[in-house]
Amino acid sequence: MILIRRSAERGHADLGWLNSYHTFSFASYHDPAHMGFRALRVINDDRIAPGRGFGAHAHRDMEILTYVLDGGLTHRDSMGESRTFGADTIQMMSAGTGVIHSEFNASEQEAAHFLQIWIEPADTDTEPSYQQISIKPKEKSGRFKLLAAPRGSNHDEAMTIHQNAFVYAAVLGSGENLRQKLAPGRHAWVQVARGNVSMNGEELAEGDGAAVSDAQDLSFTGGPEGSELLFFDLA
Amino acid sequence: MLDINTLVTFGSRTGSTEKLALAAALGAVQARANIRLRWLQENVDVQTIDRVSGWRANRDRMAQEYIAPREVDSLWADVLVIGLPARDNVPFPELKTYLDGLKVLQAAGKLRGKVGTAFTAESIGTGQSDAALVSLCSILAGLDLILVPPHLTAAGNTVESARLHGRRVTDVARDLKRAGTTN
Repeated sequence: MILIRRSAERGHADLGWLNSYHTFSFASYHDPAHMGFRALRVINDDRIAPGRGFGAHAHRDMEILTYVLDGGLTHRDSMGESRTFGADTIQMMSAGTGVIHSEFNASEQEAAHFLQIWIEPADTDTEPSYQQISIKPKEKSGRFKLLAAPRGSNHDEAMTIHQNAFVYAAVLGSGENLRQKLAPGRHAWVQVARGNVSMNGEELAEGDGAAVSDAQDLSFTGGPEGSELLFFDLA
Repeated sequence: MLDINTLVTFGSRTGSTEKLALAAALGAVQARANIRLRWLQENVDVQTIDRVSGWRANRDRMAQEYIAPREVDSLWADVLVIGLPARDNVPFPELKTYLDGLKVLQAAGKLRGKVGTAFTAESIGTGQSDAALVSLCSILAGLDLILVPPHLTAAGNTVESARLHGRRVTDVARDLKRAGTTN
């Protein structure tokens, strides 16, 4: 079963400095029918004006991934991390017992565009941690690059997430095909970060998401302008 | 678990007191509070700022990361924490404006039952009070706040003491709220 969450159906907040689309309920956008999918709680598609951003604020018991599409972000947190990163780097913060952080557009000239993803952890009160990985464009070109995997899953190249979840990214050229297997009993969320893609015959556009259950063979074909996807393999 | 809102308002020039304020706020988060951090930006001429190493860079950064405390923040808070560098016991104008605003709320009965506490960079975790802390605690007590003593215990680590203080004051506020003392 595949349920499509269309881009235009998402929640939307335009604060001037922040233009954000919410796949699931977030902040002042609340829709009981869209509170998340499995452990996936938030996908925000954010555009931040030059030099602007989120001041110091707190998180607790949440796995927070930041996937930059354009521009860069400067991050500071109560763990002492101070980083500036762009589209070649994926960041994950495990808030655990508590983290205070800020994040700002690193540029005074260009807008920053990124997806911020929250995944509920399997365990609460874990030690807070910060991770980031750098990936080259070719690593996600025409294949799913694993970004995050649970501890003990023997994926040392990926970041460790406190949840039975695997997070992938892929970039597909026009007409390029990619297949992905989903193990029995597993669920998936597909988020189109850029472009268009066909998934098992369903046409998905930028900002669209799809919840997949009871399907094992997924086939993706890049649309006319190609596509960039995030794939969440969830319990 | 009862929701507790903890407001941490601080003054800082070079970021040292900011670190303590962050630690206090982090302690509050660990005690499962919602937090807001607010900065008292001093309105000082550029020459004065440039005479202190690190002031300008940190001031620019903090101006980006924090806003000044607003009345709505004080109304939102169950706990008001004030953290200051212990330069002297004379409030700088922005602190005085903030405290005057609290006095207006107190006169309207809007601070009744809230918990208040303070720390200074030179007192927390050192085992010793200072003039600025004594002055600040006296002001907070006069605002009808339920005063939680500053965490003076010498922990050998001021940041850790600030974290423990933020945690403790939030726990106290929750216990009081649970007991109905803050109604």
